[in-house]
Amino acid sequence: MAGGIQLSRLAAVGGYSALSAAAGVASSKPSAAATEGASKQTNLCTAVNDALHIALDANPRALVFGEDVSFGGVFRCTVGLKERFGAARCFNTPLSEQGIVGFGIGAAALGCTAIAEIQFADYIYPAYDQIVNEASKYRYRSGGAFNCGGLTVRAPYGAVGHGGHYHSQSPEAVFTHVPGIKVVMPSGPYEAKGLLLAAIRDPNPVVFFEAKMQYRTVVEDVPKGDFELPLGVARVAREGSDITLVGWGQQVGVLERAAAEVSEADSISCEVIDLRTLIPWDRAAVEASVSKTGRVLVSHEAPVTSGFGAEVVAAMSARCFLRLEAPPARVCGYDTPFPLVFEPLYLPTQQRVVDAIRATCNF
Amino acid sequence: MQRSCFLINLHSAARGQLRAPAQSPWRTAGRAARGALHVAAAEKKQKLMWEALREAVDEEMEADPTVCLMGEDVGHYGGSYKVSYDLHKKYGDLRLLDTPICENGFMGMGIGAAMTGLRVIIEGMNMGFLLLAYNQISNNAGMLHYTSGGQYKVPVVIRGPGGVGRQLGAEHSQRLESYFQSIPGVQLVACSTVANAKALLKSAIRSDNPIIFFEHVLLYNVKGETIDGYCQPLEKAELVRAGRDVTILCYSRMRYVVMQAVQQLEKQGFDPEVIDLISLKPFDMKTISDSVKKTKNVIIVEECMKTGGIGASLSSVINESLFDYLDHQVIRLSSQDVPTAYAFELEAATIVQPEQVIEAVHKVVGAPVPA
Repeated sequence: MAGGIQLSRLAAVGGYSALSAAAGVASSKPSAAATEGASKQTNLCTAVNDALHIALDANPRALVFGEDVSFGGVFRCTVGLKERFGAARCFNTPLSEQGIVGFGIGAAALGCTAIAEIQFADYIYPAYDQIVNEASKYRYRSGGAFNCGGLTVRAPYGAVGHGGHYHSQSPEAVFTHVPGIKVVMPSGPYEAKGLLLAAIRDPNPVVFFEAKMQYRTVVEDVPKGDFELPLGVARVAREGSDITLVGWGQQVGVLERAAAEVSEADSISCEVIDLRTLIPWDRAAVEASVSKTGRVLVSHEAPVTSGFGAEVVAAMSARCFLRLEAPPARVCGYDTPFPLVFEPLYLPTQQRVVDAIRATCNF
Repeated sequence: MQRSCFLINLHSAARGQLRAPAQSPWRTAGRAARGALHVAAAEKKQKLMWEALREAVDEEMEADPTVCLMGEDVGHYGGSYKVSYDLHKKYGDLRLLDTPICENGFMGMGIGAAMTGLRVIIEGMNMGFLLLAYNQISNNAGMLHYTSGGQYKVPVVIRGPGGVGRQLGAEHSQRLESYFQSIPGVQLVACSTVANAKALLKSAIRSDNPIIFFEHVLLYNVKGETIDGYCQPLEKAELVRAGRDVTILCYSRMRYVVMQAVQQLEKQGFDPEVIDLISLKPFDMKTISDSVKKTKNVIIVEECMKTGGIGASLSSVINESLFDYLDHQVIRLSSQDVPTAYAFELEAATIVQPEQVIEAVHKVVGAPVPA
C-alpha cells in the first residue's frame, strides 16, 4: 500500500509532462520546431503569472486583487505585478472572500477588468452568494443595461497530496448550475495561459480553477507572447476509437496515462477529451466522440453525486442512447469530505480509471 | 384510541357510510344532522401545509426540550410563512430565536449549537438566502461529523421556502437542491403534501444528520390531512400512482404539475407510474429501480435548472445501473438555464408545464391512437 501511494504521487509529479512531450499524443499545442524561440519551458504558476502580466500590460483598467497577492501570492502567481504596475493595480484585500468578489463585481460593473484571486477554491463558498445571486444575474436582471463581464475569479483547486478537507476541494460542480457565468479549468500550463487570457477578455464573469498541484510540478512548452485559446471548445487530447474518456483540469493527465496503459496492455484505443470549459461545455465535441466510440467514461476529483460528470453522462446517455454499447461510467471522488490520510484511496487514480475502462469495454 | 376511532369513522362517513361510535354524542341526533356534523368535522380535519409544518415543530419542541428554531422573524412575527406562528408565546424567545439578517452568522450559530447538544431547526426566509451560508453548510455542517471521527454530530434541519413562486424575481425563485446535492455529509429531503410535510419534518428533527428540508413557496396553502404521530422515513420515495407505461420521477411542486398532466393522460389511455422522490439525497434507488425495471421508460420532472440539476444526477445513476432495462433515453424536463424572469409570461415559460409532461409521455410511450 505504501509503495502504491508513493508510486502514484511520483507519477503525478513527473508523468504529465513526460507523457505529453514524449508519447506523441495528439494535441492542439504548437510543436516546438514551429515556434522555436517563441516558447519556453514553463510551469503552471509562471504561465498564469505571464498571462496576468500580459493582461495588465494590454489593458490599463485591469486590476489584480486578493489575499496576499501584493507580495507575489502564496503560490507565486502574482509575482512582479505590483512592482511593474503599481499598488493601485495589484493590491491586497482583507480576509473576506465575499468582499473580494463583491468588490470585483462592483469594479467590473464600472468598466474595470477585475481579476480576483481566491486563495484556495475551498474558501470560495463565502463568495458563493455574490457569484450566484449577483455576478451571474447582473446582465440579465438589468436587461443588459449593466454587466460585470470584466470579472474573472481565479482559484487554485484540487488534490495536492496533503491538503485535507479545506485545501483540496474541487467545487466546480456547484458553479455549473449557474446560468450567467462561465467556468474554465485548464489541464496544464499551456492551456492555462491561453484560457486565462481568453477568460479575462471574455465579456462574461468567469470562474477559473487552476490545479494547484501543477503549479510547480508540471512543466511544458508555453508560448512567450500573447495568445488565447477559445472558451467553450473542448480539446481532443488523444484520438481513439474504443472509448471516450472525458475530463478537465489535472484529471486529464490521469486519463492520458490510463489511456497509454490500456493501449499497451489491452490494445484498447481511448479517445481523451479535455473539456476545458464546463459552462458552456462543448457538448457537440463529446457527442461526436461518443458517437464514434460507443462508450463514455467521465472522471473528476469532485464527489461523484451531482458532480459535473453527472451532467455529461446524462446528456450523452440521452443524445447517444442508441449508440451506447455499455453503461456510461463515472470514476470520481467518493461522497465524503476530502480526506487527509485516505486521499490516495479517495482519488480517481489511474488504476481506478484503468479498471473502469476495462469493465466498460468488456461489458 | 378513542380519538383515532372517531377519526376513522369520520373517514368512512366521508365516503358515505355513517357509523357513529358507541359513545358518540351524535347517536341520538337525526341522520341529516349527523351527516352535517360529520362533514363539518371532516372539513376541520383538513389543514394547510404551513399548519402541518407548524404542528410538527410544536410537537417536537414539546416532546424534546433541546429542540429549538432560529431564523429571521421566526419568533415574534411568527415566521414569514407562519410556520412558527405564536410558538414564541409557548416556548419563549430563546427557543424561538429571532436572528439578525445574517445567514452565514446564524447558520454557524445553529451548527455550533447542534454540536453542543441542541437539536436546531434553522429557517431561511427564502432558500435563496441560504447561499450566503453555503460555506457553513458545506464546510461545517456537512463535514464536522467526519472530521471529528464521529465525536460531533450535527443534528440540524435547515428549512425554508424555495422554488419558483409568482413573480418573485430571480433572487427569490431559486431552486437550491442542485447546488446542495454535491455536498458530502448532508441529506436532502423535499416535502410535497400536507401529510408528508408534517411526517417528514418530524423525522428530520429527530434525525442526527444535517438535513436540508425543501419546502415550496406555492405549497404552503395546499390543503390536506395529516396522520397523527407518524414520522415518515426520510430516505423513501412515495408511490403516487402505480402504472405500467412510464416512470415519472418528480418532487415538490412538480408532483402537482405531473398529476395535472396525468388527468389528461389517463383520458388518452396512458398508464403512467408517478413517483415522488422525497429523498433527493440519497435517492431511493430500490423504489426507483423496481419501477424502471417494470416500465422501461423514465421521465424526470424537476423544477431546478437542467444543467447539473437533480435530474442530471438521477439520470446518470439510472443509466449506469439500469442500462439494459431502458427502452428509451431518460428524458429530463427541467427549468430553463436562465435566472427566473419577473414577467409572468416569461416566468411561466421557464418552468415545466403540464403540457410538456404530456408531450414527453407521448414521445416516450407513443402518441395516443386516434379513436
